[in-house]
Amino acid sequence: MTTTIIWTIAILTLLGVVLAVVLYLVAAKFRVEEDSRIDDVEKVLPGANCGGCGNAGCRAFAKSCVETMDLDRNFCPVGGNGTMKKVAAVLGIEVREKAPMVAVVRCNGSCENRPKVNDYGGYASCRVKAALYSGDTGCPFGCLGCGDCVAACQFGAIRMNPDTGLPEVDQDKCTACGACVRACPKNIIELRNKCPRGMRVFVSCVNKDKGAVARKACKVACIGCGKCAKVCPHGAITVEDNVAYIDFTKCKLCKKCVAECPTGAIHAVNFPVLKNKEE
Amino acid sequence: MNRLLVSPAPHLHVRTSTASLMRDVVIALLPTVIVSILFYGWREIMILAVSVVSCVLLEYLITRFLLKRESTVSDWSAVVTGVLLALNLPATSPWWMVLVGAIVAIGVAKMTFGGLGQNLFNPALVGRVFLLISFPVAMTNWGPVQGFVGNADAVTGATPLGLAKEGGVAAVSSLDYLDMLYMNIGGSAGELSAIAIIIGFIYLLARKVIRPHITLSIWITVFVFSGIMWLADPSVYTDPVFNLLTGGILLGSVFMATDYVTSPMSTAGGIVFGIGIGLITMLIRYFGSYPEGVSFAILIMNSTVPLINKAFRNKKYGR
Amino acid sequence: MKKTFSIGGVHPNDSKISAGCRIEMLPVPQTVYISMAQHLGAPATPVVSVGDRVKTGQVIGEPAGFISAFVHSSVTGTVKSIGPRPDLAGNKVTHVEIAVEEDEWAEGIDTSETVVREIPRDNAFILDRIKSNGVVGLGGATFPTHVKLSPPPGKKAEILIINGAECEPYLTSDYRIMIEKPEQIVIGAGIMKQVLGGPRTVIGIEDNKPEAIASMQAAVEKLSVLSPSYSGIEVMVLKKKYPQGGEKQLIDAVARRQVKSMGLPIDVGAVVQNVATSMAVYDAVMKNRPLITNTLTVTGDCLPAERQKNLLFRIGVPFSFIIEQTGGMPENAVKVISGGPMMGKAISNLDATTVKGSSSVLYLTAAQTVRRPESNCIRCAKCVEACPMGLEPYLLNKLARNGMMEELEQNAIQDCIECGCCLYSCPANIPLLDVIRVAKGDVMRAIRARSAKK
Repeated sequence: MTTTIIWTIAILTLLGVVLAVVLYLVAAKFRVEEDSRIDDVEKVLPGANCGGCGNAGCRAFAKSCVETMDLDRNFCPVGGNGTMKKVAAVLGIEVREKAPMVAVVRCNGSCENRPKVNDYGGYASCRVKAALYSGDTGCPFGCLGCGDCVAACQFGAIRMNPDTGLPEVDQDKCTACGACVRACPKNIIELRNKCPRGMRVFVSCVNKDKGAVARKACKVACIGCGKCAKVCPHGAITVEDNVAYIDFTKCKLCKKCVAECPTGAIHAVNFPVLKNKEE
Repeated sequence: MNRLLVSPAPHLHVRTSTASLMRDVVIALLPTVIVSILFYGWREIMILAVSVVSCVLLEYLITRFLLKRESTVSDWSAVVTGVLLALNLPATSPWWMVLVGAIVAIGVAKMTFGGLGQNLFNPALVGRVFLLISFPVAMTNWGPVQGFVGNADAVTGATPLGLAKEGGVAAVSSLDYLDMLYMNIGGSAGELSAIAIIIGFIYLLARKVIRPHITLSIWITVFVFSGIMWLADPSVYTDPVFNLLTGGILLGSVFMATDYVTSPMSTAGGIVFGIGIGLITMLIRYFGSYPEGVSFAILIMNSTVPLINKAFRNKKYGR
Repeated sequence: MKKTFSIGGVHPNDSKISAGCRIEMLPVPQTVYISMAQHLGAPATPVVSVGDRVKTGQVIGEPAGFISAFVHSSVTGTVKSIGPRPDLAGNKVTHVEIAVEEDEWAEGIDTSETVVREIPRDNAFILDRIKSNGVVGLGGATFPTHVKLSPPPGKKAEILIINGAECEPYLTSDYRIMIEKPEQIVIGAGIMKQVLGGPRTVIGIEDNKPEAIASMQAAVEKLSVLSPSYSGIEVMVLKKKYPQGGEKQLIDAVARRQVKSMGLPIDVGAVVQNVATSMAVYDAVMKNRPLITNTLTVTGDCLPAERQKNLLFRIGVPFSFIIEQTGGMPENAVKVISGGPMMGKAISNLDATTVKGSSSVLYLTAAQTVRRPESNCIRCAKCVEACPMGLEPYLLNKLARNGMMEELEQNAIQDCIECGCCLYSCPANIPLLDVIRVAKGDVMRAIRARSAKK
């Protein structure tokens, strides 16, 4: 009895030692040399692995930072400037601050503004729908409403509004990682700068059709009339391919264009409500 | 004018659905169910009722209140599990044992993996094997039970496989193959009648619910393997026809090994799967401590399905 | 044993309701819109201007690249506009709008119905006629025919397969031309046979069309007595199975050869042409008649028997005009398809015009075509059994939804022929092909980008 126990313990111990040696040798043989700073950088990253920086994940981003030693081309949109400062400290280099951004949906083709002309009956994915045809409304440029952007968002910052059939961005949750921008097959979503209190002015339409055609498809389409460009005192608005675009780096939020737009395609959001509404 | 419907091709679709396939399996099980009710009477009706109702109810409760999803009971898969579980139990089983089996089958084997389509093991078999291990005496209590036809004694006593395990070939030499075709001398409800199961098999094939490759490869493996052993020593090993007609081989090979979710995708994979089940079953029967091994064989092979799916694939065009 | 392809396939009900309807002539509307993108490859460049008078059969678009084709006016009239117009999927394509006047054919076109049987000896002349008359494959892909009939150097055609399978349910236009114009098809086959250097020539027809088989056999017999050009052309009866008419499947069925992944039929010495293409080749070579008409089927279970039609139409006629001329859309139709129900396109815009490859106006009811909600995959392997390329659609679907590009390529998603068998046969209504088609596009782009880098 005692001998059995002793033998058992002895064999198991021996086995343990042998295996430990094997494991050590294997680990030593297949050891991959990696810059230890990659680990250090990874530690200060948010760890969301969202891919918003354009890399496959946080580790890939850390690797990219270490390899290029260039923080102008590597930016973590989730962690923002705070994180980038920490990364810079780890690597011992300088970093410039970037303005905070937010995703903006540039289509206002709600069911009311843009009536349906046919019914889509395939898989509810914008990519599948876009590959098939121009969409179930008269506008071949607008939102397809299947929510690929919602599915792409890792932060729960986009949801479909059931009344309008359009996605809405929660600007507090949005990290401007750009996943939705890449997911949208119609390129409707754009990252724009996050002004104080979230105020911004933008053209909520990307329809490149001629004015009459665009207007027929959607009540609130940009018809490319150019009135906004004329009235803009800062030269921030350009009209190309029958659609206006407001350069957010030049826009000073004066809202002159908003009043000028004949179709109401230019939106001004998050401005304080004036007590005496001007008529 | 109405708005046109637009969707990607193809624009037509087969009429079958998950529910219709599962319903066909239930229909194919009906002959076996009827035979078992005829022979085991009210007790069998009770077992079937408890098993089916508890399986369906459990699936409903778990999907609605635990997983907070839409209920999936309308796809009939819980009914199939319920019927199969009932057919795998002795007619003497008390109601609470059936309930425990249903809880293990649906709650553990099916829903913890994510419901229909996600489970690795056949739920009814997991339920049965759990009961077999937990309550070995109750699970091998074969009667007497009074049915609607015949007297209770005719269907009482040990199963043929049990007899063979205990007393060797001599103990079963008096059994008639015709009896086995119509009804066994003992065993769980689903083991009673080979004819009833084969009718179900033909129905499933005719309705194109299953393909025959898995079932046939099990039969052939059992027949060939037991044939070789029997030829080698007929005084020790039971003969191949006996091995095909007794025990759970038929029920298992037609209804449980062919379970979509837990069987391989490719034809070659299915054949390998079937051979594995046949071999393991016969090894347990001849050399194991249990008289019957179909349930274990299927569960063991279930666990190899992901590997089989990787290793055995259909030939691709032009490759 | 009748031959068929060796892997997968499905058996949808063939529903050839309009099989008994003779081909009728569709009237010409007041305006036609002729698309410049009627073929695979680069759209043609318009060579007419607004206000020009064009004759029937006159060139109005020239090929813009190697894989491109001539486009001809199908009517006589005045060019009213040239510009973008939505096609049947709503995508903007350049169209030439022509106000129709009295029919007057361009010079040099033989408009008589007399059958010409003597094949010209000069192959360069034949190829030029096929090219200049804008002949493209009418079996679905609309690939320019002259390109397909000029095998790249070092490759030789060993078998020419004329595709009379018409495996898509409902469609009967190929069937009708095989019955009504069998000689022209066989002559077209003879022409292509000569151009390709006289390979074995097989006309493959499915066994659900006995009348077409008899008609084609009779034509082959009659012509092979008249001229050695037609001797040796076989009519092969194939066992009905979808997608028999798929190029790769037909080569497998007829010649027992399989085209390698990413390869072309010519790699295994095969050239496949549709029966309608064969007739277009006859028209182009023997009559110098450009491809400006085609046959289409107007059908559907919800369409009364007397309104089922096989129509000879001028290319460029709007779908709405065809629908109006055949008594309007049936009440309970919810979907209109151009092409077969398995691979055809649902029309989102009825004002779109017909193109060279248009083969049907098919009405489907809600009960036939509305998809049921998707449920869990039960791993029944019906998609694996159905896939004629031997792929595993359930797996591709899973990989595609997780964006696993490398694994998709390893599992041969690029071999998918988009026949729809997987989605058709899935009992859980999983949109397999919808997902796979888009992922296949991504993988193909990645493969092309990689080979461009090399």
